[in-house]
Amino acid sequence: MKQILLVTDGCSNVGMSPVVAAAHAKSEGIAVNVVGILDYGDVGELGASEIEEIARAGGGLSRLVNMRQLSQTVQMMTRKTAVQTIQLAVQKELKQVLGNGSIEALPPEKRSEVVRVIDELGETSKLQVALLIDASASMKPKLRAVEEAIHDLMLSLQARQGQSEIAVFHFPSSKHGEDCKLDLDWTDNLKGISSIFTKFPMSGTTPTGPAMMQVIDFYRQGDYGKKSRNDETDGMMSDYVV
Amino acid sequence: MTTSFKLNLRRGAVVTGKWKHSRYRVERLLGEGANGKVYLVHADRGWCALKVGIDAIDLQSEINVLQALEKQDRKQTYLYEVDDLLGEDGKEYPFYIMRYVRGVTISDFLDKNGPEWFPLIGLNLLGKLAELHRRGWVFGDLKIDNVLVADYGYVELVDYGGVTAMGKGIRQFTEIYDRGFWNAGTRSADARYDLFSFAMLCIMLHEPKKLHALTGGLPQIRSTEELERLIGECKGLAPVAGWLRQALGGQFFDASEGAEAWRRLLHRRDTRVKSAKTPGWLKGLAAVSAVVLGISVYWLLRSGI
Ligand SMILES: Nc1ncnc2c1ncn2[C@@H]1O[C@H](COP(=O)(O)OP(=O)(O)OP(=O)(O)O)[C@@H](O)[C@H]1O
Ligand SMILES: [Mg+2]
Repeated sequence: MKQILLVTDGCSNVGMSPVVAAAHAKSEGIAVNVVGILDYGDVGELGASEIEEIARAGGGLSRLVNMRQLSQTVQMMTRKTAVQTIQLAVQKELKQVLGNGSIEALPPEKRSEVVRVIDELGETSKLQVALLIDASASMKPKLRAVEEAIHDLMLSLQARQGQSEIAVFHFPSSKHGEDCKLDLDWTDNLKGISSIFTKFPMSGTTPTGPAMMQVIDFYRQGDYGKKSRNDETDGMMSDYVV
Repeated sequence: MTTSFKLNLRRGAVVTGKWKHSRYRVERLLGEGANGKVYLVHADRGWCALKVGIDAIDLQSEINVLQALEKQDRKQTYLYEVDDLLGEDGKEYPFYIMRYVRGVTISDFLDKNGPEWFPLIGLNLLGKLAELHRRGWVFGDLKIDNVLVADYGYVELVDYGGVTAMGKGIRQFTEIYDRGFWNAGTRSADARYDLFSFAMLCIMLHEPKKLHALTGGLPQIRSTEELERLIGECKGLAPVAGWLRQALGGQFFDASEGAEAWRRLLHRRDTRVKSAKTPGWLKGLAAVSAVVLGISVYWLLRSGI
């Protein structure tokens, strides 16, 4: 299971549309969740609708929250989306086996069986979450809450039985030719890491779309050499259903 | 995070299950939460509680836990029926029927009946947790809303949505009661997790405002030391302060060990009565325990709950 979690507080303003980028992610088997942080006011109508649309294109969830709710929301969305990913894979299999794709349409006894499988896979499948943090000037006072949410997410992921990893990026990057900067490569442990964002650039631009494309590319490079994507969950499912 | 949930069942409405065709007459709303609404309904078998869910998968996952519990414990019925209902909006909603638990929250009970009930309610609650722990489960989302108290301090747990098999990740929790939130351990299901939440529940009952104030602080300084300081400042918690520290520190193996220690604490008075005619060299000791033993008096005098 692969996810991108975008944390932002406003609109993208440079480069490719983040909605298109999110659709790219989805086609690569990566679900995109979006959290919009409201501080003293709101992200604006434009920001709110963009956030919702990115998540829709990326097959994930979106929420507008204030800083206090950030940790709980991030943790919850990640979990829900993981279950949803499994659910979709299961539904695909069900369609083949039963000629019926909807879990809700099953009678309660059958539903119970299917949900048991979903829960089991949700707990044991490998999960990767790439966090993509908007570090434009307006986000600066919120970065501490973001760091807290990342630590909190790691704690929840560590409690899973399956392997879980996170990576952290922020954008924009001060380096020329780079749309986002990798702060933390795949890890399953944040011990000893007190500050993830050591130095962040001050730049007015918010290249959300290009940054997301770079994260997709990062996923792709990580997969390079492994035989094929997506087959992990599919294969496991057949063991259960057949 | 409360999700908007449009379904509303009115008093007098009759719900008919899609699959099993049982009929339920709605009496009133008992409560609602992040995952659904719970109604008091009347069925052929009498009064029951109906929980209708927002998400079929989430609700089913909770039902699976209830079914697993029921298999282990034939004495108690957790679940009467599982079915779907048709809402006024034309959508289908999953629901299940469970035993109706009569009762009020601990805080309401203590307000009405007095704080001297607190030690007994705590003990009864630990007993309920111990039953789950014995069967390999952790309650998970222990908080004031999820405990109902009936006459004479009889305690029942409601909302099994957080119940998790030991060793897995806690399925549902509430930040302020969560061990991880206080930098005091993992979010993996073990019996100590519930005891931590139990201690938080005790603090919440006595010092809700101060506790909420602590959550505003920086996450790095959020720690059990902060909580221990709060406990130390609270007169109402003085008799169980040591116990709470142990629970926060994960020092009880499970709820039955915790319950044993809690019980010993509450019955020290008897010990003192027995040792009333003790030789002089023991008098000092008795005097020390007399202080500790003022527990019940403490609770009688305290009305700050
Ligand atoms: N069996 C029952 N008998 C009586 N009241 C009940 C019963 N089950 C639940 N309730 C009441 O309904 C409220 C909401 O139920 P429940 O906690 O199951 O919902 P939820 O959506 O899972 O909530 P949460 O947000 O805590 O997860 C409870 O706090 C309790 O007051
Ligand atoms: Mg509840």
